[in-house]
Amino acid sequence: MPAKSISATVPNSGRIVHDPELCRGCRICEVACSAYHDGVCSAHLSRIHVIPDDLALEFPAHVCKQCPYPSCYYACPKRDKAMCIDEDTGARYINEEECIRCGSCFRACPFNPSLVWQREEDSKNIYYKCDLCRDRDQGPICVEVCPRGALTFQARGGK
Amino acid sequence: MSTPYGWMGKISRVDLETGKIRTEETHQYVPEYIGGKGVATRIAWNELKRGVGPYDPENPLMFMAGPLTGTLAPASGRGSVCGISPRIYPTPWFTYGTMGGDWAAELKYAGFDGVVVRGNASKLVYLWINDGKVEILDGSELAGLDTFVTQRYLKEKHGRRTQVVCIGPAGENRVLWSTIQHRLSNSIGDAGFGAIMGAKNLKAIAIGGTGGVRIARPDDFIAACRKIHAMIKNGPTTHPYHAPWGPETQQCSHGCPLGCGKLHKNVPAGVTVGSGTRNMMTHCEDYAFICGERTTNYPTEDIRDIYKGDMFTRETKAFGERIGTELQALCEGLGLTSSFLINYYPWFWVCIENGVTEIEGFTLKPEEPQFWFDFMKKVAYREGGIGEVFSGDMLRAVDQLDLPPVVKKAALFQFPMWGQPAHRQGRAYESQPTPLWINTMLHWIIDSRDPMACHHQSSFVAGWFPLHHEGKCGTPDSNMEKLRATYRKAFGTSEGIEPGLNNIEGKTKLAVWQDNRAQIKDSLLLCDWLFPAILHTFPSQEEYLEADDYYGDIDAEAKMLAPLTGLDIDTPYIDRAGERIRNVDRALHIRNYNRSKEIDTTGEWYYEYPEKSDGSTLDREMFNALLESYYRNRGWNATTGHPTRAKLEELDLRDVADSIESRTKSKDD
Repeated sequence: MPAKSISATVPNSGRIVHDPELCRGCRICEVACSAYHDGVCSAHLSRIHVIPDDLALEFPAHVCKQCPYPSCYYACPKRDKAMCIDEDTGARYINEEECIRCGSCFRACPFNPSLVWQREEDSKNIYYKCDLCRDRDQGPICVEVCPRGALTFQARGGK
Repeated sequence: MSTPYGWMGKISRVDLETGKIRTEETHQYVPEYIGGKGVATRIAWNELKRGVGPYDPENPLMFMAGPLTGTLAPASGRGSVCGISPRIYPTPWFTYGTMGGDWAAELKYAGFDGVVVRGNASKLVYLWINDGKVEILDGSELAGLDTFVTQRYLKEKHGRRTQVVCIGPAGENRVLWSTIQHRLSNSIGDAGFGAIMGAKNLKAIAIGGTGGVRIARPDDFIAACRKIHAMIKNGPTTHPYHAPWGPETQQCSHGCPLGCGKLHKNVPAGVTVGSGTRNMMTHCEDYAFICGERTTNYPTEDIRDIYKGDMFTRETKAFGERIGTELQALCEGLGLTSSFLINYYPWFWVCIENGVTEIEGFTLKPEEPQFWFDFMKKVAYREGGIGEVFSGDMLRAVDQLDLPPVVKKAALFQFPMWGQPAHRQGRAYESQPTPLWINTMLHWIIDSRDPMACHHQSSFVAGWFPLHHEGKCGTPDSNMEKLRATYRKAFGTSEGIEPGLNNIEGKTKLAVWQDNRAQIKDSLLLCDWLFPAILHTFPSQEEYLEADDYYGDIDAEAKMLAPLTGLDIDTPYIDRAGERIRNVDRALHIRNYNRSKEIDTTGEWYYEYPEKSDGSTLDREMFNALLESYYRNRGWNATTGHPTRAKLEELDLRDVADSIESRTKSKDD
């Protein structure tokens, strides 16, 4: 497969922003995310992870930043088929049907922890990440269910 | 009906004595018993023999989740713990406790609907439950640690997302006031189950899981949860319109959309707990020593005189935010229930005013903070005479001490039924004008402990705010009309909430429904402040005043459970399941503890004292009429208080009916 130029520009994307000062660690965003995407309420399957320190009352969360120059996208050997850019929202998303589970995106994500998540299912690695609920008319479900306004959707600012 | 949805399908059975661990199918108990307390009650009926005491290895301590636990159902984060409680007075018996937090959700993510712990380990251990596997691990390094350090230790060992329930020194020492603690400020207190974990040498349960709760119809379930969230998002019905968020604390339960700003007081940062600074989640009891708010005053001298002034309900002294919060933090760290402080405070004053200035050589100085720091430590460590005496509950302590009769009576006033602290009865602490205290009285009489999950509903959801917020919320008359309209929407009649003691049939019918739904709340499990959602609150005062009624949605539970599980569950099914759980609980208490009308009547004396705000009392004849009406509406024998065979068979409980009948016959023989 001919390599695409990594200097190729991609459309900007909106993104979900978490404010740890407003968050109170209820974690309803996690179960809503996995309910919508997987039909399962699970913190582990969620594309957003809130990992509260219950004893220090700190509420950090980890969710894809939808980078302007997305390393995960450039790293994908099946770019635009497996790791794609949504035309409408700009979301960087994984098309699971095409994904060959090589883990390039997972490793390429510059954040710690990686904001492309990995889980094992039937001895296979599955990679998943926030897609801004690109098929959902009302936008990201985590933003909608957050009772504190700790999650906001920041609309993209053009290409 | 077996389904892969809602329930995880497995309950872990752990024997700490033999070290054997096995799993059993949840679906032998559900959907008939829903989950949580319902399943635990059926397990107890099946397995708990007469004569088993709280500290016996056969006492099963059951940590249970429900089908809605761990989902996005709003305010579904509570978990239930059931077993024989050493705190119940005079006879320890099977009861329950609940608390919020994340542990029950994590239990499901780890693959279990519950864990049932039997046996007493020979040395201190803890359970590590992780993705379908349960291990009994050495707990010697946790010995003596407070509840905060224990949690921190296990989170560092097993990962930051690990959820921990544990006991502190008080539980290890089998103090009857001891709690099972989780996170900051979530605890099971008045059931005394901390002492049971202590007896089992079980310091903690640490839980981690990567699984999830499968949904049968995700789109429908999400839509139902969103709709119900929109209805309840303005807060619990303690306040008619939107209550501000409690600013500096964690939400008490997994998936809760509310801040409960009026429940969780904001206290300043900087209180040292364990290894850092914390803001505590501070509830009504915890607040007692911060600003001294706890009691409502008696309106007239006549009533004050009957209660001998304030001797039974003296308002706790305000020690200020820092000291008050440090007292709470020490209490939680030691693993003691903070509610015991507000019962001891007025009682110590009764002692002093009646010439008892020291007990077992310990000088009583309830006005001094240091006294409470010392007292709590002595109790938690059973240190010295006073620590040993009061490590049992107050009534058992009073039984051992040579005290003036009025001091003994004052202790009973603090703990009027089942050795549980007075709560929502309209006498000792909160006012509860007619007809609200009638319902809470019936709940107290029938239940096995302080029926908090039930009377949080009957006190608040059933109409506390319209009766208490006149001025802000219109006139009492206009509020009452809206309340009537609300109840007509829910039940087709408002007879259950009409003032005065007329129409007892309507009141007892409502009490039966409330109690059945309390079983459901503790089985699904849902927040006891919000469900069943007869009423809802409003975004603003204007919208509240303009509304014709306050009706919420009493079908909310079924509307969430049906799409979650894929089962044909509607509101009649829910009501019937609640009734089934109550009847099995009743049968268990009849079989194992000779529960009867005579035992139900032991709290009758309390209601001969006037209600605080309207002065209403109950004579023996009216008490009996109410009780018999309640029994009849339950399908129970009015003379014995036993469920009739017809009722049990109607609930598919023929085996229970046979057992009760044979028990009654053998007793007669």
